[in-house]
Amino acid sequence: MLFSSIPFLYYFLPLVLITYFAAPKKLKNAVLFAYSLVFYAWGEPVYVFLMAVSIVSAWGLALLMEKAKTQKVRKIIMIISVVISFSFLAYFKYADFFISNFNAATGLSIPLLKLALPVGISFYTFQIASYTIDVYRGDTKANRNIVNFGAYVVLFPQLIAGPIVRYVDIAEMLENRTHTLEKTAYGIKRFCLGLGKKVLLANTFGELCSVFRASDEKTVLFYWMYAAAFMLQIYFDFSGYSDMAIGLGRIFGFTFLENFDFPFVSKSITEFWRRWHMSLGSWFRDYVYIPLGGNRVKTPRFLFNIFVVWFLTGFWHGADWQFIVWGLFYGVMLVIEKMWLKKYLDKAPAFLCHIYVLFLSAIGFVIFNSVNMAGAIEDLKGMFGFSGLPLCGTETLYYLKSFALMFVVGSLLATPVIKNLLAKIDSAKTGGKILAVLRPIGFAAILIIVTGYLADGSFNPFFYFRF
Amino acid sequence: MKKRTEYIYTAVLMAVLIFGLAIFAVLKPADEFSESERRPLKQLPELSVETILNGNFMDNFEDYTNDQFPLRDAFRSIKALSRYYLFGLSDNNELYFAEGHIAKLDFPLDEDSINYAADRFEDLYNKYMAGKANKVVFSVVPDKGFYIAEENGYPAMDYAAMQEFFKNRLDFAEYVDITGTLGKDSYYLTDTHWQQQYLTGTAEKILSALGASAFDNFEESVATEEFHGVYYGQSALPLKPEKIVCLHNAELDGMTVLNYETGKETGVYDFDKLGSKDPYEFYLSGPSPVLEVTNPNGEEGRKLIIFRDSFGSSIGPLLMNDYEKIFLVDTRYLLPDFVGNYVDFEGADVLMLYSSLVLNESSTIKK
Repeated sequence: MLFSSIPFLYYFLPLVLITYFAAPKKLKNAVLFAYSLVFYAWGEPVYVFLMAVSIVSAWGLALLMEKAKTQKVRKIIMIISVVISFSFLAYFKYADFFISNFNAATGLSIPLLKLALPVGISFYTFQIASYTIDVYRGDTKANRNIVNFGAYVVLFPQLIAGPIVRYVDIAEMLENRTHTLEKTAYGIKRFCLGLGKKVLLANTFGELCSVFRASDEKTVLFYWMYAAAFMLQIYFDFSGYSDMAIGLGRIFGFTFLENFDFPFVSKSITEFWRRWHMSLGSWFRDYVYIPLGGNRVKTPRFLFNIFVVWFLTGFWHGADWQFIVWGLFYGVMLVIEKMWLKKYLDKAPAFLCHIYVLFLSAIGFVIFNSVNMAGAIEDLKGMFGFSGLPLCGTETLYYLKSFALMFVVGSLLATPVIKNLLAKIDSAKTGGKILAVLRPIGFAAILIIVTGYLADGSFNPFFYFRF
Repeated sequence: MKKRTEYIYTAVLMAVLIFGLAIFAVLKPADEFSESERRPLKQLPELSVETILNGNFMDNFEDYTNDQFPLRDAFRSIKALSRYYLFGLSDNNELYFAEGHIAKLDFPLDEDSINYAADRFEDLYNKYMAGKANKVVFSVVPDKGFYIAEENGYPAMDYAAMQEFFKNRLDFAEYVDITGTLGKDSYYLTDTHWQQQYLTGTAEKILSALGASAFDNFEESVATEEFHGVYYGQSALPLKPEKIVCLHNAELDGMTVLNYETGKETGVYDFDKLGSKDPYEFYLSGPSPVLEVTNPNGEEGRKLIIFRDSFGSSIGPLLMNDYEKIFLVDTRYLLPDFVGNYVDFEGADVLMLYSSLVLNESSTIKK
């Protein structure tokens, strides 16, 4: 089920809110667990059993691990648990990638499995793995209550599109959390903000991307408009989902860590990745990069560590070469920055640094959104005029004019300008009073307009099926 | 306002919206049909273990909740208005609003489509008309976009190229350019079609090519003032209804129309259709595979065969002055192989009249 859908907003959400707040404290996690299973089963009725197996195995093995008497046994159990979790991910997400590449390399024709990817599997597998590893490391205790643990894994606000919530970050909240009017109001506002980002901005930019793909008119300018539209689409889509997750979490008493922090205002690629999908970046840092030795090793090993992390980051996003290339592209840029470019970027004017980041992000996301590597090369050639394309055309100009305001609005909202302005107004006495009245009306207006978009059956793609 | 008051205000406002609409959605009886969109609405899907496991229930439930959402037309209007006026987008659902008209973005020229259409017309000519028909005339009805798109900054199909293509390709027919006889006002504001009262000049031009004469006297009468065209519902813009006007004279009022599909006989104007989902069907009772119009005052034995789409319905009556019989054939609903079962082409004049919208998306024309 999508947050940005009528069944979620006007059927599921009211029901879960009523049940949750009517339930006594000791049953609240059970309510969340049950509703989260329904939420997941709504889109994946069969795969809910797969998720149940993942939950039970990780929960049981963590308990066993805690009871194990030697470190060696603990380690073996940890490895078994992680392998079980990742084997599901490998089978459902990566099997066809390996088979097709094996076929290409050997000339064999082993049939592909063509399995539907269980939604959210990349997110919940990483959550389960973090729990298992944290229990092994002694960073947290194993949860003895399967309902509470199950609620953590399938918690519907962050189940299908993150952020990747680590068990240690919400272990205490699972047992003991408070619900306040302030949290509820914040959660509502954050949810509406995310809903608006997803439906009003991301989907509209997505329309332009679809128009570009379907159009016979390919021009250099249209390629760049597509690149800009996709950057804004994926940012508002992903950060919008994170906002909705954080908002819903807050309503139910959870505080999830932030996942995005205006990445497009970064002045370096290193900074960009500190602001983009922060929960994934920190997961790889803590569970891959640092265990491999991080940067406190000799240069060849450091380079190896970096490229492993960025290979995996790319591969996590999709089982195809363009994702791997996309990840490695960032790996290369991070290495270049760390070893050479950073000193120049530190001295360069801010606007040049922003242009540098936006330019590389555009290239990166065009690779990311291509159908395959051949498509990525074709797109990049189109952007840089190597395909003999005209600079502009009638259709290009029409869509440029049509989306001009969207680009302005999207670009502004992708920076903290509006947020800072509102904070400044809010801090003034009169401004604060006016905003206190207008803010709730604004969020209600967002909900009403979004409902209009959904009732009209508008373009509403689901990005995360391949994650 | 204290923070706590704002929190209460936020929570109450959103609760009223979400729970209010949720309760409304659950209690509201399901509608069968959307008048504005002219389509049946999804009903509550069947709930069973099978439909749940294969996901059909969930998919269909989402469609059902979208279709049956309370105040849906109002919400769709909010969406349309926000796209145009809040986000400055030029179109909504591929429709744009210019000079009071709603029009469809219809570009670029689809060469495969017009080639396919030309092939179909050639097949018809070779099968039925070659050596039999008296005169064959072809004309493209321009979409209203021809008159308003470029002037208002919207991309438009290359109509000149489309006309040139058919002129050259269909060498068995005389091409009649009717663009000069029409203007943006010749079309309904909220519909794709042209308005009959503005077609007398167009009819004269076509009839001149056919070697026939036009009526020289008409009286206008308003059939309805409550016409919402097909774009009205699709655009979801809150626009006023329009008039459907029809032209009368003694000859037209004396004609009969036989619908070969239903066997029903009517006049050229079917007032029952004014209450139907598409009141434009008022003209010749709307789309039909074959219609036979009999004009008791026509020249004995003279007949006109019109291959047409829906644009032919409103101009058809204006072409009947000289003809005793007119057959209107729509090969979107009738296989070309069967046309000969109903129509004899010997000595007939033939008009092929198709809108650019149909020609640019011609897969509906049967092979």
